[in-house]
Amino acid sequence: MALPLLDARELVKHYGNVEALRGASFTAHAGEVVALVGDNGAGKSTLVKCLSGVARPDSGTILLDGTPVVLDSPVAARALGIETVYQDLAVAPDLDPAANLFLGRELRRGGLLGKLGVLDKREMRRRAVASFHDLGVSLPDVDVPIGALSGGQRQSVAVARSVVWASRLVFMDEPTAALGVVQRERVLDVIRRVRDQGMAVVLISHNMPEVLAVADRVEVLRLGRRVARFDAATTTVEELVGAMTGALSQEDA
Amino acid sequence: MSRTTVALVSTALLLTACGGGGQIGDTGGTGDAKKMVLIPGVAAEPFYISMECGFREAASAAGYEVDVQAPAKFDATLQTPIVTGVLANKPGAVLIAPTDDKAMAGPMRQLKDAGIKVVEVDTKLEDTSIASSTISSDNEQGGRLAARTLAELVGDRPGSVLVLNTKAGTSTTDARAAGFEEEVKKHPNLKYVGQQYTDNEPDQAASKVTATLSANPDLIGVFATNLNTGEGAATGLRNAGKTGVVNLVGFDASPKQVEDLRGGAVQALIAQDPATIGRTGVEQAVAALEGKPVQRDIETDLVALTKADMEANSKYFYRQRC
Amino acid sequence: MTPRTGLRRRLVGANTLWIAVVLLVLIAVFGALRPDAVLTAFTLQTTLVETSVLLVLSVGMTYVIITAGIDLSVGSVLVFSGVTSAMTMNALHDGNATTAGWGVVLVGLLVALASGAAWGLVNGLLIARTGIPPLIVTLGSFGAALGAGQLISNGSNVAGVPDVLSDTLGTGTWFGVPNLVLLAAAVTAVGALVLGTTAFGRHTYAIGSNEEAARRAGIPVTRHLVRVYLLAGVLAGLAGFMALAYFRVASITGHDTDNLNAIAAVVLGGTSLFGGAGSVVGTVLGVFIPAVLRKGFVIVGVNVYWQPIAVALVLVAAVWLDQSRRRARDKR
Repeated sequence: MALPLLDARELVKHYGNVEALRGASFTAHAGEVVALVGDNGAGKSTLVKCLSGVARPDSGTILLDGTPVVLDSPVAARALGIETVYQDLAVAPDLDPAANLFLGRELRRGGLLGKLGVLDKREMRRRAVASFHDLGVSLPDVDVPIGALSGGQRQSVAVARSVVWASRLVFMDEPTAALGVVQRERVLDVIRRVRDQGMAVVLISHNMPEVLAVADRVEVLRLGRRVARFDAATTTVEELVGAMTGALSQEDA
Repeated sequence: MSRTTVALVSTALLLTACGGGGQIGDTGGTGDAKKMVLIPGVAAEPFYISMECGFREAASAAGYEVDVQAPAKFDATLQTPIVTGVLANKPGAVLIAPTDDKAMAGPMRQLKDAGIKVVEVDTKLEDTSIASSTISSDNEQGGRLAARTLAELVGDRPGSVLVLNTKAGTSTTDARAAGFEEEVKKHPNLKYVGQQYTDNEPDQAASKVTATLSANPDLIGVFATNLNTGEGAATGLRNAGKTGVVNLVGFDASPKQVEDLRGGAVQALIAQDPATIGRTGVEQAVAALEGKPVQRDIETDLVALTKADMEANSKYFYRQRC
Repeated sequence: MTPRTGLRRRLVGANTLWIAVVLLVLIAVFGALRPDAVLTAFTLQTTLVETSVLLVLSVGMTYVIITAGIDLSVGSVLVFSGVTSAMTMNALHDGNATTAGWGVVLVGLLVALASGAAWGLVNGLLIARTGIPPLIVTLGSFGAALGAGQLISNGSNVAGVPDVLSDTLGTGTWFGVPNLVLLAAAVTAVGALVLGTTAFGRHTYAIGSNEEAARRAGIPVTRHLVRVYLLAGVLAGLAGFMALAYFRVASITGHDTDNLNAIAAVVLGGTSLFGGAGSVVGTVLGVFIPAVLRKGFVIVGVNVYWQPIAVALVLVAAVWLDQSRRRARDKR
C-alpha cells in the first residue's frame, strides 16, 4: 500500500484526570473518504482537534506524507493543507458567501491600495462563484448575507470554504447533521467530488447508512483507541455497531 | 443608568449599615462645640469656593475652628458619607448645601438629633424642620434682574428674547427663568419667544440658539440660566457671527465667565453672592449656638455685572481659591 | 444577475435607505412649515457645525457596535482629553494659552489624541483579554475618565484655549464651509472607506457576526478588538480637541450624555446592537436625525417637551425595524 497521507500513531490526550485519547491511531490516504465513527465519548472530537491543530496531544506522533509534523494551531494545520468543517458551522451570518469563503484570507488589491488593506471584492466574488460552481453548490443569490440562506445552503458554503482552501485533507465533523434529505445528498456529492480531486476526506458521522454510502474505509474509535478498521464496501451496519460497542474487535487495529 | 445603580447600591449598603436598631451617630461623645464645618454641594466649583472663603473668614473671626468637606460630585450618594463622617466628630454647627432636597433629609436629621446646629446654604431640603436657618440666593430676583439688565443693554430697540434653561424641573434655574419671564413682559419692545431646555449640555444650547436665530432673525437677547447654557449660547452666537449683536446675559461669575464678559462674548452676568451666603450662614449658626434669635429664611440679593461696571464690582467675581 | 439590479436591491434592502428617507421627510416637513428659516445656508451651516463633534465620536462608536461591543466611555474620554490638552497648552504658555502659537496647539492636539488612545487601549485590553463584558468595562472607564479629568482640573472647566485654534478650527471657514465640518467630514470619509473596503473593516464585521468563526478563520480577534477600542478612544480624543476649539473651554459637566447620543446615532443609522451589520453612512444619517428634529422643533416653535419624546420614538422604531428584519431572516 502507498504511504498514507496522514498517519497518527499512539496519540494520548488528557483533560485533567480524564483520558480522552489512550493511544489512538488514525490513517488517511489521498483520494479516499475515511469515516471516523464511535460512540459518544469515544474520543472522535478530541482526535479531530489534535489533527486539525486546535488541541495538542500529550504524546504520540503525527506523520504527514511520512514526515513528523507539529500542529500547534489551526493556522499551522491550514498551512499544511488541512482544513476543517466544524459541527457548528462557524460562519459569519451577516457576511455574504464570498466574504465567508475568503474569511481570514481576504484578497487585496494590487499596489498601494493593497498595502493599505483595501480588498479586491470583485475578484473574491468571481472566484467564489467559480468555486461554488465547481463544487456543485447552487445558491439562489451570492450577494445576500448567508444568514438569509437556508440551512443546507449555509452548510454548503461552510463545506466549500474548507474544500477550496484544503490541498490535502479535509475534516468534516457531522456535516450533514440537521439537514434535509435533498440537502444531505448535495453535501455528500461535494464530499465525493473532493475525493475525486485527490484529497483525503475524513468524515465524522453518527449516521451509519450514510457512512457506508459515501466512505471508502471506516475506522472505529472506542474508549480513546482505534478498535477496528473496515472496508466500507464489504461491511455492514451491524459490524460497525458491534465494533463501536465493544462486541467485536480486531487484533491488528 | 450608572447613577441609578450607584444610588441603589449605596442605599442598600446604607440600609444594611443602619440596620439593627442603633444609629451610626449614637457615639455619645461630647464633640467640639467650638468647631464649624461647611459641606458644599460639590468640590472645587468657584461658587462654593467663594462661599468657603466667606465662611472661613467669618467663622475664624468668631473664634471657631473651621473645616470644609466637599463631595467630588453634586450627588447625594457622595455627600451622605461626608455628613455621617462629620457627625462622628460632633462639631458645634454644620453649614450644608444639600445635594438632594429629599435624600439628604435622613443624614441631616442625624446631625440635628446629635445636637448639632444645621444651617442650609445655597440649596435647601423640602423638610423645613431640620435646619435652624436657610440662606440662599433669591433666584427669581436674579431672573428679574437679568431681564432688567437686558432691557438696559438693548435700550429702545425692538427684538426677540430667548431663555436657555437646563433641565425641566431644576428648581433654581426654573426660578431664574420664571423671574425673567415675569419681568421681561414689562418691556414691550422685547418679544419673549419662550424658553428652551438644553439638558445642561453646551452643544444643545448652541444648537438651540442658532435654531432660534433661524426662526427669529430679530433675536436681540438671550438669558442663559447657568454656566453650561451660557457657554453653549456664546459658542452658538460666535458661530452665527452674532457675538455682541445679540446680547447674552449669563448667570454666575466664575473666572471663565468674567473673562468672557471682559472679552465681549457675554454682555452681562447675574452674579450670586456666595461669600455673603457663607458669612451669613456663620452668623446664623453662631446665633443658634448661643441661643440667640435666628432668622429662619434669608435670601441674598444678586447683582448684575456689565462690562462697563465690572471692575468696580470685582468683589462679586467668584474665586478659585481664597 | 447584473450589478445594477444587485445594487438597487441592496439599497432597498438596507436600513440606510429608509433612514435617509426619514431624514429627507423631516427636512421636507420642516422646510414646508418655515421655508424662510429652514432652507437657508445659515441653518445648514450651523447644523453641520453643531453635529461635527458628535459625528466624530459616532464614527468610532460604529466600529465598536459592529463588533457587538459598546463604549459608554466616549463622552468621559472626550472630557478627559479636552482637559489634559487644555491644561498642557496652558502649562506651556505661562498658565494661559490664549495667545499661544501653533507649536503649542500641535502639542495640545497630540496630548488629546494620546489621552484618548490611552483610555481606548485600557478599554480594549480589558475587553479583549479578560473577557469582561464591554458594557461593564466601559461603564468603569466612563466613571474613571471623568473622575480623572475632574481630578487634574480640580473639578472646574479649563479655559485658556489658544485664539489661533478657536479662530481657525473653531469658527473658521474654507470657501464657506466651516473647518470643523471639513475635519469631521474627512474623519467620516476615512472611517467609511476603511470599514467598507479594507480587511480591517471586513474583520470588524466578521467578529461582530460570529466571533468564534472569525477566530477559527485565523483572524487575530483579540488584537483586532484592542485596535477597535483604541480607534474609538483616539476619535474621542480628537472630538475632545474639536470641542475645545469649538466651545473655547474644556467643559467638565457638559458631556454627560454624549455616549448615549453617539450610541443612539449609530443605532438609528441601522447598525445592529447585536453586531455584524452597519455602516458609517448610516451613522451620519443617524447623527443628523436628532439634530434636525431638535433644530426643526425650535424653528417651528413646537412645545419643548415634545422634543425628547419624538427623538425617542424614532430611535425605538429604528431598533424595532432592525430586530424584525433579523427575525424574518433567521426564520428561514
